[in-house]
This record gives sequence, C-alpha cells and structure tokens, in this order.
Amino acid sequence: MPLAPSDDQITIDALTWDPYPIYRRLRAEAPILRVNSIGRTILTKAADTRAVKDDPARFSSNDPTTPMARAFEAHTLMRKDGEAHMAERMAMAPTFSPKNLKTLWVPAYEKVLNDYLDRLPRDEVVDLFPALAGPLAARVLALILGLPGASDEDLQRWSQALIDGAGNFGYADEPFERVAKANKEMNALLEARVPQVKAAPDQTALSVMVNADRPIPMSQIVSNIKIAIGGGINEPRDALLTILFGLLTNPDQREALMESGEWNLAFEEGVRWVAPIQVSGRVALEDVEMRGVTIPKGDVVMTVQASANHDEELFDHPERFDVFRKKASHQSFGSGPHHCLGTHLARQTIGRIALPTIFERFPNMELVDPSKVVWKGFGFRGPLNLPVRLNG
Amino acid sequence: MTRITFITADGAETTVDATVGDSVMRVARDANVPGIAAECGGAKMCATCHVYVDEAWFDRVGAAPEDEQDMLEFAASEARETSRLSCQITLSPDLDGLVVHLPESQI
Repeated sequence: MPLAPSDDQITIDALTWDPYPIYRRLRAEAPILRVNSIGRTILTKAADTRAVKDDPARFSSNDPTTPMARAFEAHTLMRKDGEAHMAERMAMAPTFSPKNLKTLWVPAYEKVLNDYLDRLPRDEVVDLFPALAGPLAARVLALILGLPGASDEDLQRWSQALIDGAGNFGYADEPFERVAKANKEMNALLEARVPQVKAAPDQTALSVMVNADRPIPMSQIVSNIKIAIGGGINEPRDALLTILFGLLTNPDQREALMESGEWNLAFEEGVRWVAPIQVSGRVALEDVEMRGVTIPKGDVVMTVQASANHDEELFDHPERFDVFRKKASHQSFGSGPHHCLGTHLARQTIGRIALPTIFERFPNMELVDPSKVVWKGFGFRGPLNLPVRLNG
Repeated sequence: MTRITFITADGAETTVDATVGDSVMRVARDANVPGIAAECGGAKMCATCHVYVDEAWFDRVGAAPEDEQDMLEFAASEARETSRLSCQITLSPDLDGLVVHLPESQI
C-alpha cells in the first residue's frame, strides 16, 4: 500500500491557534496525513485514534524523538510500555482508588473549592483562570500527591515548566533552563518529604509509593510525581474553564442543568468539545496498514483525540457545545494501558462538585465578553482567560 | 469453544463464539458488540465494560470482589447486585452459554 499523503501547508501556529477547522477538513479529505511541520503522521478519525491506542503491541508509547526525557530528567511512565509502564502506574494507583476518592479526595476538594470561592472578589471583573481554576487544581493536587508545603504558585510554575520543556521541540535553551531550575526545586522538596511520609504514612501518592511493600526505585517515584505535577494541573484547570465557558455562553443549557442537576453531562460534553489533552504520540513498531495506506515501521503518529471527539460519524454538529447531545464515547481520557489515571477524580470533583457548587453560589455569573476569551494549544488546549462578573 | 449472549438495554441479542480463558470484555470488543466501551483495556480502572450478569448465571460467575464493587460505583449506569466489570469475568468451560445484559450507557 502507498504511504500516507504528506502536507507542507499546515503550520504549528495554525494547529496551535485554530486546529478544529483543519481537523474537520482532514477527517473528510486526508484522515491519515504526514504533516511535515511537526514531523509526524496525524490521525484524525475516531476509529483510528482508538485503534492505535488499544494496540500497544504495534504502537509503542516510547517515542524517543520528544524532548520529554530531558525536561523530566527521566524516562517516565508516559513513554513506557508493557510491564515497565504497568509497574510504575500501579505504584501510584492505590492513591486513586474509588475508596480514597470518596473518603479523602472528594471531601478535600470540596473544602478547597469553597475556600477559594470565598476569597473571590465580588464586585469586579475576575479572571477565573488565575483566580480560581489554576490555584484550585494546584492545591488539590498538592494534597493528593502529599506535597502540602508546596505553594499554588510554585506548583503551577513547575507544571508549566515541565510542559514547556516537554514540548520544546525546537530545543531552545530557555525552556530547558527553566525546567532544570524547577526540577532542582521539586527534587529538594521531595527529598525533604520522603522521611516525613515514611514516619507518618497516608494515602497520598508519595506515601503510597514510598511505603509500598516492594517500592519502585526512588528515581521512578520522583518521575511519577513530576508526571502528576506536569499533567495534574493544566488538565483539570482547562477542563473546568472550558466547561464554564460552554455553560456561560449557553444560558439555556445552564438553566436546564440547574433544574435537573445533571452536571455530569456538562463535564462530559466540555471535555469532548475541547479536549484538555488534544493529541498523543505513538511509534509504529512494524509496518501497519490502515485506511488504505501503510504507516511504516518507526513512523511517529499523533492520535488526535481532539479530532476524534469531533468525528461526524459519532457526533452531530460536533463544533457545538451541547450537553444534551446523543451520548457517544469521547476519547479525552485516552484508552488502553495509558488510560488517564485521574479520570474518576476529574469526573467526581469537577462534574459532581465544582459545577453545581459554582452555579449554586453564583447563579447570576456572567461572562464579560466571550469574544475576549483566548484559546490556545496544540498538545494541551484550553482558554487562557475567563473574565466573569460573579454576581451578574 | 463457548458461546456468550449479550442483550442490550433495549432487548437486542447478539450471540458470539468465544475462547476459554478470554475475558467477556475481550470477546465483546473482538466481536464489535456495541455497548462495551472498555476504555482502559481491561485493567479494572475505567468502569466502562459494565454488565449485568443474567440471574440464571450469577451463581456460576460470582459476585464482584470489593475493589471491583468500589469501581462499579463509578459506572455510568446504576450498579446492581449482579453487576460485574466484564474484563474481570474470565471464560471457563462451565460458562458456555453465558448470558449478560448491557447497561443503558457506559459513559
């Protein structure tokens, strides 16, 4: 079979600022396309992205061409396969057990959320990105990971440094310098915390990993914590802001949910509509035939779940935010062995706590000007700002 | 060879041949039985392969262990006594003819 067609027109800039029209065209015209500006083959149909993620025997997560290892100063579980990946994942998984979610993390989330809502200014325009969504995600993460001493500001800065470093495909100096500094600070914090969680074990991720009967090596414990910091702030932050934007710009839907209490619908629709993690990379371990083309061994493919979530075969008018749309599986949490460990945490906290609490406390909240909200991101995507008046 | 019958919430039946040792989730996915999302691929972590075991088969299949019951609480459709994650039901010869009911929704 022929290789996938290749494209020289699509730029990283276009994918960063306005990717959805591009994906819509590709789903119709070239669902498997080599995009030269990113050096990858992108898959934009839901069936294909799912098939790749569910087939780790032929599509490895170990993409050596990313700057991730340098940014994290480690080969992390995100880029491992099989038992090596599973051992590191399972080391952290007990923290996220349904029982811990119910008894520890949901109550903790509720408290932090209410505290942070209390301190929002009432009579002026407030940007919910820096004033709520960012710090809320950081504080909850600190509690779950077992880093209560880390400030919201530090955690957000470290997270952004890890993201920028891992996405530094141009290998510029500044992002690597910034993440090196962040790594130093995180390493120092973890070194100080380990004896404390050994002395007083709890259900936090650090404690569970350190105090396991057969712990994974300390270097992997550290890299797991960094993965959680790198991914555990922007994703819940961007999900919350995206859903709030959707509801604030669709008052009829918001009113219907205030009546029915089905806030989980808004959660699922929001993360479908603009997936916080838009793409995931995999490497073909052998020649794979798909949709009439050959993906050659060694090719790096990007599964674009953002596009899978807008696949017209599954979703009518996918560009619309519609909490009442016909149910169909979105792929925002991925699938297969790397399926998001924080899925249930996100559903239970954002879907069942944050949305009803926010709209009960501020039933007249208004977006100041929807056209002023800026959306950005190719790998990770969300609004960069969400200016609102809480009391309408 | 064993056979499994899947019955959707609106009553549509699909019967498929299966291999002893496979999980019910795997059988459903391989046969493209609609109504099993199985996002995590069988790691007991996503609760999107939820099934209700038919009453007549429940004794042979057995109830969900505690950790599986905890996960079933996160399933999109209501968990009942006969609820199982189908990735955790491994086919044995005495499950030939097994009947499971699919919930209304996995998401």
